[in-house]
Amino acid sequence: MKQTSIIKYIISPLFICLFFGATSYAQNDSLSIKKTDTLKFKESYGLRLGGDLGKLIRSFLDDEYKGFEINGDYRLTRRWYLAGEIGTEEKTTINDYINVTTQGSYFKAGADYNAYENWYGMENMIYGGLRVGVSTFSQNLNSYKVYSQDPYWTPQYTSEESVKYGGLSAIWGEFIVGLKVEVLNNLYLGLNAQFKYKITEDQPDNFENIYIPGFQKTYDSGGFGFGYGYTISYLIPFYKKDK
Amino acid sequence: MKKFKYFIIPSLVFVATFFSCEKDDICSATTETTPRMHVVFYDNNLPSDNSPKNVSKLRITGVGHPDSKVLTGFDGSKNASEVYLPLKTTENSTQYVLHQGYGLDANENVLGNPDTITVSYIRKDVFVSRACGYKTIFENVVITLEDDGNTWIKLLQAENDNQTVEHETDIHYKIYH
Repeated sequence: MKQTSIIKYIISPLFICLFFGATSYAQNDSLSIKKTDTLKFKESYGLRLGGDLGKLIRSFLDDEYKGFEINGDYRLTRRWYLAGEIGTEEKTTINDYINVTTQGSYFKAGADYNAYENWYGMENMIYGGLRVGVSTFSQNLNSYKVYSQDPYWTPQYTSEESVKYGGLSAIWGEFIVGLKVEVLNNLYLGLNAQFKYKITEDQPDNFENIYIPGFQKTYDSGGFGFGYGYTISYLIPFYKKDK
Repeated sequence: MKKFKYFIIPSLVFVATFFSCEKDDICSATTETTPRMHVVFYDNNLPSDNSPKNVSKLRITGVGHPDSKVLTGFDGSKNASEVYLPLKTTENSTQYVLHQGYGLDANENVLGNPDTITVSYIRKDVFVSRACGYKTIFENVVITLEDDGNTWIKLLQAENDNQTVEHETDIHYKIYH
């Protein structure tokens, strides 16, 4: 278990290296296009569909996590994209005193703005965007141990009786920044970071939401949340248009 | 714009690595968790007097404690006017021996007067936080005294009807002697 959590932490830097590689590769590639192609370049408009690689890999490495996400965006104008994600997550949170499994699905919708001025022939994105996220989920309290600071009577009571808190939901707003790089024709690798703020949630009776699918870990200090994604997606071009 | 790109990639790297390390969740010592029962001793001859009266050389042991350990601070060497009794979170009652005037004479005979009390209650587990998990609070707390024919404890009185033990700052029970 220790080992998988260490692996989890090194995933991020590892992928970042991969993306650096991908970025420089894409640049070289397109530079050579620039030299040979003298025609006016038309940009592709269409629907880009993909999935979150990070969640898939984490599902294999981390016993306490299962996650799957499909993401998509549709290009509206030169800079604006309609964007959304849909996914499911199952996460078990274990510490010395509680053992909770959260399970549910989520949906996020919003728009992305591509701030990157592409070089000739390239169709990469460095973007910022906004989302509204909705999640329905359940929390299963697998076990807990009563916390007491007094060591006289030990051990304290442990409950192994599983309690299910079902039918929960949460809504949050999200700011997302990221990049999408075309590595092969119409195939994109992406990396993003998400900053979330909870708008509303169902509070279970005598418990709290430890984890919310899509929102991820909650914090005691407030409604903030954070997430990241490593995506792979394919652009289905509908038409091409001049820049 | 090229500069912008070289600024945003390192900041993404920073954000991704920073937030992938979750902070350790530690239950802070100042958080109110499972309470102990706060008992204060008063003078039976002056029941209207609201100032506590010391019990001389009080020694407290839990009945059935696996190591027969003395409650910390109550080894019979000191006088005490109040005590915080930890209650078992695994059972619905906890027994203590409150030994007044504890000491050993020249022949190693135990001096003083031990009285046995039984604290009975209904347990309720209340969620505190992800780091602390649950605490147990105790409802309908009643102390009964075992009558051994010679008790130094004269009267036991709960502060409220249906006494609840939740906050240690409250006085839960008064013992008159």
